[in-house]
This record gives sequence, C-alpha cells and structure tokens, in this order.
Amino acid sequence: MSTPAKNATLSSLAEVDRLIHEPARLAVIALLYVVESADFIFLMNQTGLTWGNLSAHMSKLEEAGYIEVVKTFKGKRPNTMLRLTQAGRVAFQTYRQKMKRVLDGLPE
Amino acid sequence: MSTQLDLKQIERRAFRSTYQDGLWDVYFGLIVISMAMFMFRPVGGYSPVNMILALSGFGLSYMIFWLGEKIIILPRMGQVKFGEARKKRKLTLMVILGAVVLIQVGFVLFQVFAWLTPNVRESLNGILLDRRLMDLVVAAIGALFIGPSMMLIAYFKDFPRGYFIAVMIALAVFLMLYLNRPVYPDYYRSADRPAQPGAVRAFPAEISAAARGVAS
Repeated sequence: MSTPAKNATLSSLAEVDRLIHEPARLAVIALLYVVESADFIFLMNQTGLTWGNLSAHMSKLEEAGYIEVVKTFKGKRPNTMLRLTQAGRVAFQTYRQKMKRVLDGLPE
Repeated sequence: MSTQLDLKQIERRAFRSTYQDGLWDVYFGLIVISMAMFMFRPVGGYSPVNMILALSGFGLSYMIFWLGEKIIILPRMGQVKFGEARKKRKLTLMVILGAVVLIQVGFVLFQVFAWLTPNVRESLNGILLDRRLMDLVVAAIGALFIGPSMMLIAYFKDFPRGYFIAVMIALAVFLMLYLNRPVYPDYYRSADRPAQPGAVRAFPAEISAAARGVAS
C-alpha cells in the first residue's frame, strides 16, 4: 500500500465516532440496533455491564441523542426502556462503514 | 466473518436468551401431562368430564407460564421487543398454525360426516378392514397433527429445543393412541364388554354397532 493510501486509512480512523467506538457503548448500540427496544436489565444481562457502568454509558448516549430512554413504573417497580433513535441508527451505520473501510484498507 | 453476520448473531443470541429460562419447556411439559392425565383415559373413555379436566389443565398450564414469566422471569431477565423480521415470523406462524387448526377441524368434521354417511363409511371400512391397520392409521394421523405443528412453532420461534420436544410429543401421541386406542374404546373391540360407568360413547350406538359388525 502506498503512503498516501495508508495516510488516508489512518485519517479515516481518526474520524471514527469515539462515542460509539468505546467497547461498552458499542455493545449497547449494536444490541439496540438489532432490536426495537430493550429494558435496562436485559441490556445488563446481555452486555455483562454493571448497573452503574451501564447507567453512565446510557447517559452519554442519551445526551448525544443516540438513544431514547423512557422511564415508567410497572406496578411499584421502575422500568427503564431504551430505544435507538434515528440519529443513533445513522451514526452506527456510518461508524460501521468507516470501520469497515479502515480495516479493509489495512495490509494482511 | 462479515459485519452483517455478526449483527445477525447478536440478534439471534439475544432472541435465544429469552428461552434460557426453560419456561416454554415447562409449559409444553404441563400440556402433555394434562393430555396424559385427563384427555386420553382408556378406562374413563371419551367423557366430557375428561375433556373439561384436560381443558382446565391447559388453562392452568398457561396460567403457570404467564405468572412465571411475569413474576419470576421478566424482573430478572429483563424484557425486549424484537424488530420487524421477528414480528413477520410471528405473524407467519400464526397464519400457518391457524391453517393447520382449520385442516384439523376439517378432518374431524370429515370423519364425523364419513361415519354418519353409510356409503362413505362402507368405503372406509373396506379400506381399513384390518383393525391393527386402523389403529396404526389413527395413531399416525394423531402424531402427524401434533409433531409438525410443534416443529413449525420451533422453526418460526427459532427455538432449537422445540424440534426435540416436537419429536417427543409426536412419539408420545403416537404411542398413546396406538397402545390405548381411546378413540375406539373397549366396547368397539369387544361386543360383550360393557362400557365403563360414566363413559360416554364417541359415536352413536348404531355406528358403534356397525363398527362392531365389521370388526367381528
């Protein structure tokens, strides 16, 4: 691979959405991408994150407008449902395309 | 491995995790137990009491399933709504199972019609003259009603253990019908033997008499 091509690959890597790139948030977003919505406990079980950890990542994703959080009560129990917003869906698709380009551009 | 495949695997793993609790297995097990205990009792015959008890058993099984999911499973496993593809599969399953049920009802109605129509009855008696063959046919039809239906559920619900359950249920129904022969109780086999107290005959007396005539 020529030097300008390598530079292009590396510059693409720098453009990757860092909010999604973090492994725990990537796991959350990937899971929400393939389902319509999921609650907090389901995400905890699937990703293996702790309550506090997931809560912190959830807040960051919500602030960025990538996920929508709906807090309700089921009887006396609080229930937090999470759903990927359209912006989050687009951001994840863009992230996938960029990462694919970067990884495909690397030599064997 | 492509990125697309990974996402599919994530979705499938998430979907299959909803079956890890084993509640569906318990539910199907309770249905089979209800059938075994109440529905097909060769001693009691095909009585309305047995039918009511069997239906109560099904209702109780569903209640246990529903309460188990609501009180035990969902608060611990969490809840999830899957995407359009899963909803389409669910709808397809409902349509196909509905068609299967209609076919089954049609088959039962055809049987009643056949036994009540002398010409058709004679034709059937001519075909199924050998009683052992008739028992085998009845058992095979029963198993074919149950087994493929359960396999459809397993396929559309992406529930791998369902195939095993389907084979087991089909085998259980086949053996139950073949060995106990509840649809044609003892009075069908032996003219001297009286019907059990409380038993209700599956067919009117004249049909049973005609059937006895063929069998003897």
